[in-house]
Amino acid sequence: MKYLSIGFIIFTLALLGFSTYQALFVAPTEQTMGDVQRIFYYHAPTAWVAGVCFFVNFLASIAYLWKRSLNADALAAASAEVGVVFCTIVLITGPIWAKPVWGIWWTWEARLTSTLVLWLIYVSYLILRRFSVGSQTQTLAAALAIFGFVDVPIVYMSIRWFRTQHPQPVIAGGQGSGLDPVMWHAFLWNLLAFTCVGIVFIVTRYRLQKLENEVEAAHAQRAIAGGVQ
Amino acid sequence: MTGQVALKAAYAVTWIIPLAYLSYLLSRFRRVRCEIKDLERSR
Repeated sequence: MKYLSIGFIIFTLALLGFSTYQALFVAPTEQTMGDVQRIFYYHAPTAWVAGVCFFVNFLASIAYLWKRSLNADALAAASAEVGVVFCTIVLITGPIWAKPVWGIWWTWEARLTSTLVLWLIYVSYLILRRFSVGSQTQTLAAALAIFGFVDVPIVYMSIRWFRTQHPQPVIAGGQGSGLDPVMWHAFLWNLLAFTCVGIVFIVTRYRLQKLENEVEAAHAQRAIAGGVQ
Repeated sequence: MTGQVALKAAYAVTWIIPLAYLSYLLSRFRRVRCEIKDLERSR
């Protein structure tokens, strides 16, 4: 298991190097935006990973409420935290891309606003987990996660439902949308690389949560034993 | 902000945030391992 983990981490690092090379040197320069369009190769894959993390959090929260499994709760905690990390990258790289292209850092339109709301929902989820005490914490967090996930499809569909400053979908956007084949390759390599980074982070954070649960249980056991004596 | 500066800034953000998160996770791992050692010693 340990060798498998190390092997996967080395594979992920190699993939990151290759995908960065693809994004910065192989993909052609976009005609209207120029080099700044290369932010797309980080911005879109990190948004994808954030969405996947929140989906895992949603499934794990349902599993926790159904089975009361501490493993499911640990997975929910891990995936939410990693999702927030990637969503933060999206919310920072987006305005950095917007400034030279739109002339503004931010505008309160549907895609940007719903993404910010998504980030706030999962930050509040993490705050709830961190500062709430008592036996109901995990149940409340799971309920918040299930309702909070409603915003993920809204973020995805916002550029289809509303007229937005954010570009219309390039991928799965219907007629007239699409990418140059070389851009597609660079995008897919980055998508794969960032997905692997997300997996490494979730697995690491999951193991940490399990260890913290064990320590907490040991402290509780000692406290009970001390009380009995 | 020019395109090149924006690209470099976005690239830096994309790497700095995950690296900072990774170092945060590793520091938490170290703390938990210390606690486990303390618990084992006090048994």
